[in-house]
Amino acid sequence: MPENETLQDLGLDEYKYGFVDEEKHVFRTQPGLTEEVVRQISAQKEEPEWMLEFRLKALDIYNSKPMPTWGGDLSSLNRVLDDIYYYVRPQDKMEHDWDDVPENIKTTFERLGIPEAEQKILAGVGAQYESEMVYHSLKQEWEEKGVIFDSIEEGLKNHPELFRQYFGTVVPSEDNKFSAMNSAVWSGGSFVYIPKGVELETPLQAYFRVNQERMGQFERTLIIADEGSHAHYIEGCTAPVYSTESFHSGVIEIVVHQNARFRYTTIQNWSNNMYNLVTQRAMVHENASMEWLDGNLGSKLTMKYPSCFLVGEGAHGEILSIAYAGNGQHHDTGGKVVHAAPRTTSSIVSKSISRGTGRSSYRGLCKVYEGAKHAKSNVECDALLINDTSRTDTYPYIEIDERDANVGHEATVSKVGEEQLFYLMSRGMSEEEAMALIVRGFIEPIAKELPLEYAVELNRLIDLEMEGSVG
Amino acid sequence: MPMDTTTMDPEGVTETLNREKVQAYSGPEPEWLKERRSHAWEVYEKTPMPTTRLEEWRYTDLKKKLDLDGLAWPEVTECADDFDACPDGLRDAMEADRAAAGHVWGIDGLVFHIDLEEDLQQKGVVLTSTRRAVDSHPDLLKQYLATETLPPESGKFEALNASFWTDGILLYVPSGVRLDLPIRVTRWVSQTGVALFSRTLVIAEPGSQVSLVDEILSDDLESQTLVSDAVEVVAKDGAQVQYVSLQRLGHGAFYQSSQRTLAQRDSTLDTLNVSMGASTSRVDLNAQLLGPGANSDMLGLYFGDDTQHFDHNTSQDHVAPNTSSDLLYKGALDNESRSVFRGIIRVHPKGQKTDAYQTNRNLLLSDNARADSLPNLEIQADDVRCSHGATVGQLDAESRFYLMSRGLTREQAERLVVMGFLGEVLSRLPLGGVVEKVTNVIEEKLRQV
Repeated sequence: MPENETLQDLGLDEYKYGFVDEEKHVFRTQPGLTEEVVRQISAQKEEPEWMLEFRLKALDIYNSKPMPTWGGDLSSLNRVLDDIYYYVRPQDKMEHDWDDVPENIKTTFERLGIPEAEQKILAGVGAQYESEMVYHSLKQEWEEKGVIFDSIEEGLKNHPELFRQYFGTVVPSEDNKFSAMNSAVWSGGSFVYIPKGVELETPLQAYFRVNQERMGQFERTLIIADEGSHAHYIEGCTAPVYSTESFHSGVIEIVVHQNARFRYTTIQNWSNNMYNLVTQRAMVHENASMEWLDGNLGSKLTMKYPSCFLVGEGAHGEILSIAYAGNGQHHDTGGKVVHAAPRTTSSIVSKSISRGTGRSSYRGLCKVYEGAKHAKSNVECDALLINDTSRTDTYPYIEIDERDANVGHEATVSKVGEEQLFYLMSRGMSEEEAMALIVRGFIEPIAKELPLEYAVELNRLIDLEMEGSVG
Repeated sequence: MPMDTTTMDPEGVTETLNREKVQAYSGPEPEWLKERRSHAWEVYEKTPMPTTRLEEWRYTDLKKKLDLDGLAWPEVTECADDFDACPDGLRDAMEADRAAAGHVWGIDGLVFHIDLEEDLQQKGVVLTSTRRAVDSHPDLLKQYLATETLPPESGKFEALNASFWTDGILLYVPSGVRLDLPIRVTRWVSQTGVALFSRTLVIAEPGSQVSLVDEILSDDLESQTLVSDAVEVVAKDGAQVQYVSLQRLGHGAFYQSSQRTLAQRDSTLDTLNVSMGASTSRVDLNAQLLGPGANSDMLGLYFGDDTQHFDHNTSQDHVAPNTSSDLLYKGALDNESRSVFRGIIRVHPKGQKTDAYQTNRNLLLSDNARADSLPNLEIQADDVRCSHGATVGQLDAESRFYLMSRGLTREQAERLVVMGFLGEVLSRLPLGGVVEKVTNVIEEKLRQV
């Protein structure tokens, strides 16, 4: 951003992804979650019998688990869950050529800048609209090297053995109430396989859009990074602003094999009427490395704790988390690292900003099992509070069963320093500009890890959110 | 389906601990106290027994750690008010406490000796047992005992203690009176398989100053003994209060202590909890910073061996603006011992300009030791400075190597490193006698390692 440009000049004074398209769908289930709905989804997808059984079993588990009593306020969620559509099919089949995507959906994604981004920086793009992936493409050079980047449904259809070997192994249905829900009604998401030794130079991206009012999106992504491979996957999410609440509950499973490196970036910018309850977990094998980069800007309530299970000797896990909670928002986010093998290392860095009546909570677990000798873990949390109505919490859990381990946790909470503000204003900046600069400096360690386009976008979003925050 | 707790059988009612026992025990007591105990018992019956499903009891499973059914009511232990006639362990502990402004000695939940410097008595300082205070200072008890500070509604154990307390310490310091030397309390447990309930109440009027060192100890106990303490400390405007708890119970003890401190305007209210003994030790400490300028330093020290289980549950409530608190809990864990630290800083919406810190550091000395640490923050005001940190690690190999290169044996070097690690806590509490005593206790434990 050029120097001395004010926030108004940027013209970003509202949630710019809040537009609504006409609702068009070829099929949708009745509102609410029943066995009938689960059977319909499975039938729509022409799934093998084992998957239907998997779904029905997960539905039983979902019904038997109580609603969590910790984290965010879920008191009105039961009403929302009875009300929403669990499956909305926007078109008949998924396209691989952008020109074949129906006009209305194409326009939506064009407004979000997706095809443009694909041309420039991405190895592959997937786009999900309502419950189904509407578009998936991968650059030919990567296809030739054996990379698979497909919708999860095509993964099940075209690579049944690989799919079945890994599906549900990283995040079992029993894991929590919402992983059970997702396992029952999952639809859409990506299936990714990076073959041995293949290094993807540019990221893969999936884009998620919810347009239908009162809709639940349940994407399921399964990623396998084979030995020595290297890749980066980005997901972005937006939705229109409705007066009713919507619901998004994804499950992301990642297996990072020996010596592989994988990075998963989320830029979550749902509209402020969205419940976003996501389970993301990676199984990290010998000398492999997994990085989660988790940016939470939108949604009404987000509960999301990307996890690294370090199961191979020398495995490394990293979680960078940034949350920005504006008026009425609550981000209950953080990360989990589980050290289950010797010489495993991990780091969690969390930065949160709360503004207005926003609340951001860090909730994290660092667990070292006995036998995970020489494990090292470090957790750092910083929270910035903008207004006197803002709130921040830190709930770290540290469980250590092994003597030869070094684990540390540090957290600080501060207000935007009056001295910093004063200094910047004495150099000719307005209070708003100074505030935006300080906030950008605060998130910089995370923003610099993002691909350039996203870093710019994140900064613009911060500017947009900062507007009117002073005084 | 969650069960309706009101229709369930009350939990924790036993042949020893029941409504009839409360009524029988409070029979000869004045009406107001009878009512208090009876009300506390009602609260106890209504409160479910904490389970590991509760966040605050997540790592301490009472089902496994405490057998309430096995506890009997203690006999009255006759103990002449004579130093030489006391049990050896008690005498040794008292021997080290000679330098004091006053002493309280107790055995099995009953106080048998109290002394206080003559001029302090004349200045209006009250040091007595809570049992005697029922007759001598009923107004103080009526106002402060288990009322606003630690009412039975605070929890299951708080309600149980308020129903059954047999004795304890009342310390009242009038406005502006300052005690140069601490008050030393030494309490001994000799009976095994019983439940003991004691209360400590400290009221420091504006501008006063006082230190209370409360030590409880025993030999190893054959069968499980519940030792329950409830501690209420009030520091009024500008008062300076130090409360030190030194727990050196033997194996077999289940120690449970609920402590709450209220710090009013410009007061200083510091605490130190030293947990060395007992098979299971659970300390709940809540510091309330209620007036602008109030400050609390909260220190803690624990050393576990064998299969000892320590659980420290602390909270710092910054209710008023311009308050500060600083918590430092450090512990070393050997053999199969285990420690849980759960701390929370809560900055209330009016707690602007709060300065709050919280640090928990653990040293694991054995392969089978375990430490869990949960340092939490909940901040609802924006103009604050809060930070917390927690670490778990092993003995620093470099320090040990350095010391060994200077000619120390491995054991000597390790002991020295552990002493240095724990010493940081003691160095922040310049209280004569206490530092020495705690140092000796740690060294004794280290020698057994």
